[in-house]
Amino acid sequence: MATTNKKESLRGMFFMWALLTAIGLVISVYAPSRLMPRSMSDNMHLTILTIIVFSVAAAPVAAGVYAVALHALRHWIHRGDDVPAPASEQTREHATLTVSWVLASTLLTVFLLIWGLGALAVDNGGNGANPLVVNVTGQQWLWTFSYPGSNVQSPTLVLPEGRTVDFHITALDVTHGFWIANMGVQVDANVGTTTELHTTPNQLGQFDVRCTQFCGLNHAFMVTTGTVVTPAQFSTWLATQAKAQKA
Amino acid sequence: MTTTLEHATQAPAKGGGLARRQNFITAMIGGVVFAWLGWFLAHHFLDSSSRSYSDLVTTSLTIGWIFGFWLGIGALNGPGRWLIGADHTRADDLYYAGENQGRARYWKYCTDHKVVGVQYIVMTAVLLGAGGILAMAIRTELIVPGNHFVNQQIYNGFVAVHGMLMILALIVAVAGPWANFVVPIMCGARDMAFPRLNALSLWTLVGAAGLLLSVLAVGSLTMGWVVLAPISDQAGIGMDFFAMSIVVFTVSTTVAGVNTICTVMTMRTKGMTLARLPIFVWGSMIAAALGLYAFPYFSLVEAQTLMDRNFSTSFFVAGGGGTGWLQANLFWLMGHPEVYVILIPAVAALFEIASVMSRKPVFSYRTAIAGMTGLAALSILVWAHHMFTTGWAPTLGGPFMLTTELISIPTGLFFLVIIGTLWRGNIWMKQPTLWLFGFIFNFIIAGITGIYLSDIPIDNQLHGTMFVTAHFHYVFVGSVLFGAIAALAFWYPKVTGRFLDETMGRISFWLVFLGVQVTFLSMFISGLKGMPRRYSSYSLIFEHANVLTTLGAYMIMAGMLVLLGAVVRSWSHGEPAGPNPWHANSLEWLVPTPPPLENFDVLPVITEDPYNYREELVQA
Repeated sequence: MATTNKKESLRGMFFMWALLTAIGLVISVYAPSRLMPRSMSDNMHLTILTIIVFSVAAAPVAAGVYAVALHALRHWIHRGDDVPAPASEQTREHATLTVSWVLASTLLTVFLLIWGLGALAVDNGGNGANPLVVNVTGQQWLWTFSYPGSNVQSPTLVLPEGRTVDFHITALDVTHGFWIANMGVQVDANVGTTTELHTTPNQLGQFDVRCTQFCGLNHAFMVTTGTVVTPAQFSTWLATQAKAQKA
Repeated sequence: MTTTLEHATQAPAKGGGLARRQNFITAMIGGVVFAWLGWFLAHHFLDSSSRSYSDLVTTSLTIGWIFGFWLGIGALNGPGRWLIGADHTRADDLYYAGENQGRARYWKYCTDHKVVGVQYIVMTAVLLGAGGILAMAIRTELIVPGNHFVNQQIYNGFVAVHGMLMILALIVAVAGPWANFVVPIMCGARDMAFPRLNALSLWTLVGAAGLLLSVLAVGSLTMGWVVLAPISDQAGIGMDFFAMSIVVFTVSTTVAGVNTICTVMTMRTKGMTLARLPIFVWGSMIAAALGLYAFPYFSLVEAQTLMDRNFSTSFFVAGGGGTGWLQANLFWLMGHPEVYVILIPAVAALFEIASVMSRKPVFSYRTAIAGMTGLAALSILVWAHHMFTTGWAPTLGGPFMLTTELISIPTGLFFLVIIGTLWRGNIWMKQPTLWLFGFIFNFIIAGITGIYLSDIPIDNQLHGTMFVTAHFHYVFVGSVLFGAIAALAFWYPKVTGRFLDETMGRISFWLVFLGVQVTFLSMFISGLKGMPRRYSSYSLIFEHANVLTTLGAYMIMAGMLVLLGAVVRSWSHGEPAGPNPWHANSLEWLVPTPPPLENFDVLPVITEDPYNYREELVQA
């Protein structure tokens, strides 16, 4: 390869990298919130934000590898059945490159870790005062929600907006996975153990509860809907249910 | 035993009685007869009203199967003769190495590492084929919502057995054929350190595969390939078949792993220092060592499951003092290292291919070794990321997130090595190279989506969804399978003396490559939209993504069928390749094709590593 081509060809690689990075950034920012279920809690908001941040961080890295690979396919390929001559540069080591590669990937990993551990702390925190306790029981193949303090049991989940909910989750037969797809939280429902989960709904409207742990024949149909209502509507609903279930 | 230097000239001994008539057929007969015996004894002596009666009968039957299979194939002949003081003679050893037996040796308990390698290719194809047919059935069921191609029970079974077959297929896909066929030659050895154990590992795998395939015939197993406790309690006797097949399979992997390590450590020829080893030998050895750590957990967890079912031991039964979390921990203590047992040989083969094809040394050879070793070491500390959402030990979330994200550093080194090797190379565009570039594209996607899942806030949303399924299919199909096919295309001429058909190979590549993108990118979308895994049916919002996934899956199947056609056709009709078609310098290319029994007339002496692509060596 003539030396005159060197700079030119690497410039092409750089432009390819910039183009691919730009495409990656557009996808990173645009895609997650449009593909994922509507966010109805801070946890879900944080999840989507984290996906965007990680994608933005990953885009230039992926674009770099792809740019080199595409460049190799355009400029360094030897076609035909005859064996190519040995490459002009028989490089075995490049200390600077190796060290900077390790440093760069370490720094990137440290950034992801710091973000991730911070996000985890935020995700686990945010427990508001006076949380609403909801007992969740999974069994093949339905969910039952009960509201301690009242005698209400319901196959659908009704939650008040703006109040932290503490879920106490267990299972009767096999392990199920309790997941609120719009709130970015899930934990298994285990037999003989209670697991806990908390989140604060911040949007009114409907959401889905799906089982994420394979639980037998009708696993695909272990779905129920939930609704986030205003605190006033919630009190009314709870009172009506309590009366109806007493009767 | 086969390291003696004098070359045998005596004719193979005649006769030899029953022991020399043993082959796959007698193994099947032995297996079936002893399985029947196991069933008969258990059935006759056990109380049929007991709760675990059907499990005990099944376990007895499966033990009978594997014992009979070993007896029938001749696995016990050598140890038996040694025990009574009538050890194999040199003539016996040559007979068992398949000398002058033509194609018949491929059906026998053959100790020649090259025969075992070819047998592993066939076993991989059988397991991949069976798993692939199930994948097609799964995707056909899911092509539109509410489709009823098969009933739900059968569908759930297909999902589980597909997973089990494919995991086994990929564990052996690179290490099986190539750690056996080429690694001993690469080291300059006449065979593996323990040729009989080599045959044992292969035929034990065949026995285990028999048990695993039987799962479909005995009412299936519908609980996903991990079969977590306590739902495993609800499984029928398919669970006993599966658990026993894994216990048997781990015997095979252990024997094979010990053999690979001992071969590399003790059988290298003069001058073949560790620093001159081809990088694929390093990869095979590191993966084998990791397998020795990981698979005992697999054996243990399935043996405990068997004991719970057969003897009411309640290791994993919540009501009896056990816990399903113990089962999950043991399973993933195996399950995560196993991913790298599968991945590392494929990556190591691609290092080799990148070097030979671009006519440059492996870039930063020591970094490649450090990357593989680091990955193996880290992989034993990350298992609980599979359990982030189980509720087990939430305080360990942070630490396991840390170890998991550290994985991206050694993985990044793989890219450094491959990119650095290709950099300004004269890259020969042949089939292995094509699959290498496909691997680069897919492995980036696999790696990045893995980082999302290692992050707990994201995992709390995406765990248990199709996003996870898409991620690990980019690892297993997009990366490992691509590496395995590249390795096949690369070493195929050494096995058969012919090239793998280039046109068919390229058609196959494009079908599989595009198929993988269509299938698994759309699967990421259904996962992000919120579709859980292992669903037999789904709501309308997931329809578009699923239609695409199914169409992509058909493309992959079409591509794999073309590849199968190429492999079968080229075996006898391919373009002749000569002993060193890629003009490589590692020892397997410097012996004749096909390599003779015991590989070398005179053992070579090594003075440098195989990556000096100087003009004079290229003549070879």
